[in-house]
Amino acid sequence: MNKLYLWGIIVTAVMLLFTYMSVAGSEGGLNGDIVNMLAVAGAVALVLITVFVVIKYVRQMQTDTAEGELADESWDNIGEYKNPVPMGWAIMFLGTMVWGMWYFLVGYPVNAYSQIGEYNEDTQVHNDKFEAQYASITGDRLIEMGESVFLAECKICHGINADGIDGKSADLNRRIEANVVKFVIENGSNNKLLGSEMPMPDRNGLFNANSGALITDAEIDAVSAYVANGMSGAGADVYAGTCAACHGEDGKGMDFVAPSIATFTPELVANVLTYGKKGVMGQMPKFERLNAKQKEAVGAYITDLSK
Amino acid sequence: MFHWLEKHPFFFAVAVFVTIAFAGLIEILPNFAQQSRPVIGTAPYSTLELAGRHVYIKNSCNACHSQLIRPFKSETDRYGHYSLSGEYAYDRPFLWGSKRTGPDLMRVGNYRTTDWHENHMKNPAAVVPGSIMPAYTWMFTNKADIDTAFAEQLTIAQFFSVPYNKPVPMKDGSTKIVKMGGSVAEANALALAEAKIIAADMKDQDVKDAVANGEIPEIVAIIAYMNSLK
Repeated sequence: MNKLYLWGIIVTAVMLLFTYMSVAGSEGGLNGDIVNMLAVAGAVALVLITVFVVIKYVRQMQTDTAEGELADESWDNIGEYKNPVPMGWAIMFLGTMVWGMWYFLVGYPVNAYSQIGEYNEDTQVHNDKFEAQYASITGDRLIEMGESVFLAECKICHGINADGIDGKSADLNRRIEANVVKFVIENGSNNKLLGSEMPMPDRNGLFNANSGALITDAEIDAVSAYVANGMSGAGADVYAGTCAACHGEDGKGMDFVAPSIATFTPELVANVLTYGKKGVMGQMPKFERLNAKQKEAVGAYITDLSK
Repeated sequence: MFHWLEKHPFFFAVAVFVTIAFAGLIEILPNFAQQSRPVIGTAPYSTLELAGRHVYIKNSCNACHSQLIRPFKSETDRYGHYSLSGEYAYDRPFLWGSKRTGPDLMRVGNYRTTDWHENHMKNPAAVVPGSIMPAYTWMFTNKADIDTAFAEQLTIAQFFSVPYNKPVPMKDGSTKIVKMGGSVAEANALALAEAKIIAADMKDQDVKDAVANGEIPEIVAIIAYMNSLK
């Protein structure tokens, strides 16, 4: 018998024995454990295939002789036959080139991961969802949405109850406070509450039609209390003489002239969110990151709060 | 030459290294240089803002607050546009931070104002219920170090060509000139002029008096810095 086959049988026997010992010695052994049986079957197959393949190629190396015509060139005495490229090799070679071109031009550029790309996709998904579910809500749902936006963005200054945290910012449960009215009358105002430049003059430009003179300190105090009190109480005559011309008899404002000082309106709140505001309590920043619907919702919420 | 290299393995290795290093440099450096250019809208810090930045560093604000907005929807909703590398062009050192015990401050100037910072620094829990941030009351009395800020401005203007006194492009197409004084006295005057604008929006009478007397409390400087973070 050929020495090679003998070695093959010895190696096979040793490896199978080793497999048997290690499996039989393990928990579960060879009886009834399907996983162990599968492992043994796999091991046996591997051993047999390995030995068979090794024997085949060793025999080939021992017996094969090269055939074909040698090329003229010789590289450091290493010659080359002029045999044609085997078909399998040729196909793989060309296939690799085609794949390489595809990967270079399409595969990598189109499918490469980009963090910003993923962010843009996320944003797109979010915006589509917003458009589909929330872009057309009205009424109570709009107010609910306004409350949630308020709690995310506004409560940090206006407080959870929108009470302005002890005068640190505007109390949104009411339209306006007396010190704010007083400040605006004394200093004028230009906060784009109507969405465009529409300055209100300071006290040097405010005449009281009743007296025919500039508004006085006492009149300012009276009208401030009147406006802050929800357009009632003393001071109505000063209001009628000085403020009503622009802000309306009822304080509801006039389009393109003056904003409502009796009630909040969603448009007014949206304009404050768009342009920011500066007054006696401090400065409110503009909120560019809210979209138009969110601003409208906050407006609806605050209008509802101050009813 | 290639034949010669093939016969000298050491020099062959050197040549390979030089070739690959060169290729790497021309691939990497231009992109790197481009990315670290200031983006449009990023301006150098003024003297007072720089002094405020020193206050920020001195009080280790960066231990609890990051200055880096990641490109996630949840973050950009809360803090604004994700950070770009060019926005840190004038940050030396950068203050990215590594932990958010408090919120990110990269663009805090967009959504907080002077009076809010004043209330908050005095007593954080009064405006943010449940806040664990300590009060920084000493900032209302400590004086900001304008001289050091000016020294830093001089240094970075000279060695890093930070464009002080030169027009810087802004997002709306306009240009902005950040002034740097020519002397210590001039720098202090510039910082004080800026401090007066901040103090006008503040409520604390002691701070207002100090600024009126030509002194700049740290709180004014750090608010100037916060307002510049956009």
